[in-house]
Amino acid sequence: MAAESPTSDRKVVVHLRATGDAPILKQAKFKISGNDKFSKVIEFLRRQLHRDTLFVYVNSAFSPNPDELVIDLYNNFGFDGKLVVNYASSMAWG
Amino acid sequence: MGGHCLWDGTLSPNDFIASADDLTKKWMAINPNLPQWTWIPCQRMDVSCNAEGYLALENMYQLSASEVNAPTDDENYSAEEAPFDNATLIQSYNDDMHIYDFHIVYSFSYQVPVLYFRGYRCDGHPLHLCDIEKDLPPYSSKIRNESKWTFMTQEEHPYLCCPWYTLHPCGTSDWMKLLLGGDLPSKNPDMLHYLSAWLSVVGQTVGLRIPLELHDKSI
Repeated sequence: MAAESPTSDRKVVVHLRATGDAPILKQAKFKISGNDKFSKVIEFLRRQLHRDTLFVYVNSAFSPNPDELVIDLYNNFGFDGKLVVNYASSMAWG
Repeated sequence: MGGHCLWDGTLSPNDFIASADDLTKKWMAINPNLPQWTWIPCQRMDVSCNAEGYLALENMYQLSASEVNAPTDDENYSAEEAPFDNATLIQSYNDDMHIYDFHIVYSFSYQVPVLYFRGYRCDGHPLHLCDIEKDLPPYSSKIRNESKWTFMTQEEHPYLCCPWYTLHPCGTSDWMKLLLGGDLPSKNPDMLHYLSAWLSVVGQTVGLRIPLELHDKSI
């Protein structure tokens, strides 16, 4: 577990998990500043996958608002020292 | 419930009612100072069903985009203008407040919840979709314009029989299957939290902020 950081910029380990038929990232784990908003994670995914639309969610429970702070998500829903973020492609209309 | 059957992302009317109750109670505990979700029981046509109804969240105040973006440049402020007047500013503030109502209604045909919403000015004048879109945060427009799973239409409210805006439910079971069905497809999904989970997605599309605590299952 990360020790208390001397600065307020605590890093959070984010683990990106592909679900459905979404492509798997070569680099699925990265560190992000806890003070960053979740929108940064979403943008990272979009750039890596070259997809406009992604469905992003946490813990088989909910989809975080892009304005949520990563540190808040980690503190409430992280486990084993990381925040697991699932992603899927938005499917076409059936 | 067969544990080895793949869940299809839908929920039963009884699960809808139970989940609505869970959402209502949690919202009250977390946001006591905000407008509350209220269960509105209904009778549909001749069918007498004590348990049928919908969830209503009304009178959510939203500062209209025109007020937020009001120019404050001094260059635009003519020297001829009247001096700054607090009373005038407050009056303008009220005129530019928009009010939103959100209803969560169960769709018997799709077997999923559906969001109905409407907005209006303080004088009661209803907002058109283009006005509503200006009130929404940028990420909301992105989701609505880009996602194939969410689009808005105007439909007759199933119980109130007048047009409301709605997010079409045809994609709901697909993404709910991913959201709640998750890691182990054969595992029974957490139906009690179906509405909180659903609302976390749908809320983003209409600018309804859902507090993180709503998803904390320890509460």
